[in-house]
Amino acid sequence: MLKDITLGQYFPGNSFIHRLDPRTKILIIIAYVVLVFMVQNFIGYAALALFLALCVGVSGISPKYLIRGLKPILVFIVFTGLFNLFLTPGETVWSFGILKITREGIRFAAFMVLRLIFLILGTSLLTLTTSPIALTDGLERLLAPFKKIHLPSHEIAMMMTIALRFIPTLLDETDKIMKAQSARGASIDSGSIFARAKAMVPILIPLFVSAFRRADELATAMECRCYRGGEGRTRLYKLKYGAVDALGWVYMAVLAAAIIFINIYFGSF
Amino acid sequence: MIKLENVSYTYMSGGPFEKKALDNISLEIRPGEFIGIIGHTGSGKSTLIQLLNGLIKPDGGKVIIDGQDLSDKNTDIRAVRFKVGLVMQYPEYQLFEETVLKDICFGPLNMGLSQKEAEDRARFAANMTGLADELLDKSPFDLSGGQKRRAAIAGILAMEPKILILDEPTAGLDPAGRDEILFKIRDMHKRLNLTVLLVSHSMEDVAKLADRILVLNSGRIEMFDTPDMIFRNSTRLREIGLNVPQITRVADRLREAGVDIPEGIYTTGDAYRALLPLLKEADGNK
Repeated sequence: MLKDITLGQYFPGNSFIHRLDPRTKILIIIAYVVLVFMVQNFIGYAALALFLALCVGVSGISPKYLIRGLKPILVFIVFTGLFNLFLTPGETVWSFGILKITREGIRFAAFMVLRLIFLILGTSLLTLTTSPIALTDGLERLLAPFKKIHLPSHEIAMMMTIALRFIPTLLDETDKIMKAQSARGASIDSGSIFARAKAMVPILIPLFVSAFRRADELATAMECRCYRGGEGRTRLYKLKYGAVDALGWVYMAVLAAAIIFINIYFGSF
Repeated sequence: MIKLENVSYTYMSGGPFEKKALDNISLEIRPGEFIGIIGHTGSGKSTLIQLLNGLIKPDGGKVIIDGQDLSDKNTDIRAVRFKVGLVMQYPEYQLFEETVLKDICFGPLNMGLSQKEAEDRARFAANMTGLADELLDKSPFDLSGGQKRRAAIAGILAMEPKILILDEPTAGLDPAGRDEILFKIRDMHKRLNLTVLLVSHSMEDVAKLADRILVLNSGRIEMFDTPDMIFRNSTRLREIGLNVPQITRVADRLREAGVDIPEGIYTTGDAYRALLPLLKEADGNK
């Protein structure tokens, strides 16, 4: 069950997308997210799908793997879809008792589901092609100008690095604790909602205890290596923009232009 | 009785990180036996023991406990888990209750026993593992490392399993704590007539305790025999990253040096019995 989570996993490679500067990738993803919300019709989504498919094809990451990343939030997607489908007021096309589906509901539900899927796929493509270190490095550099207004950009980046670094560790740990408690007869995935919530206690308490212990050990280890924040810290690998980044931006600009054109030309329906 | 028939298990099957952990394992363990399981890191020891109480399901083959096939849909897996007590590595990280007593009661209460019965069993189990009574009302997080380990083992023992499996129960303990835990395990094996499976990296421990030793190597059974037969193959053991007990190496060197000492020295007790007459003889000659 826990093995399905692809969040924070990185697939090493040397594709065009892998070679983009992390700063470029982060900015492109932000632009992409804005576009996902700007799209007003299904032709626009087709354009997005084409863009994403091209990116995935270039990146060399198996589409099957990318789609598997949707599985953990499938329930969320389905619920969003159903809520919008049944609860949007408008012109009724089908009804059964108190349930009714409206034209607007269908359109809304489809939009919401598509938006969620595109958001997840796009952002997973970012984390799959960028190592966590590069990602936080990029973020730190992007946030650096805000230091003037006392934004602790280095500390934020460091916290993110640590959080990302510990996702697999904590998943492993959860798996182990769940097994240990199952061996003592705990039934984790059966019973009523209340019984299940109660069954989480024997898993969460040891998990928290071990997370705090790990945090403590990590702090000691960092101090042993004289860590004292970002002040005066030099780096081994400096980020550099290259020709690929310019190409990435051109590609993104074409998509943005296409979406805006589609929005104006076809309008929303 | 434990029976494995052509059992295989693969991690992350189908993905890019596919790894075969167990490959076509068949074996039988009789009730009341004390089995030592040894093998290099990553040889499949932990996977094997997790199969035995249904925490993971084999990809192929059958795991049969007391005539029940664990892959069978009609088998009540929880009932099997109460019968096959598994103490995982570093079990103290599973402690969570307010008091040690409550924590040990967790398993018995899951079995559906009454509070009274569960507490009786918990007290008995605590006693078996050598936890003092006054510790039972303390928070498990206030215990020392060795005491935590014992509380965790008691938590399994309180379910009164017929088969007790321990995955490196002495890892990370000081020598005194180690000896005590091992002594208690031997004691439980004898007094409660348990079938015990002990995973260990210490050749000394398995040599001292086990009736038979299972040697795993890259997911396959390398040997499964009495300590006597296993430790005769010191060359092969070394090839797969294991060794013979230290005292056996000492005896071998002595023999090479011309001392008339028999083969088959696996514990300090054996060495004591073999060397004492020799020393007495030497003393008499003086």
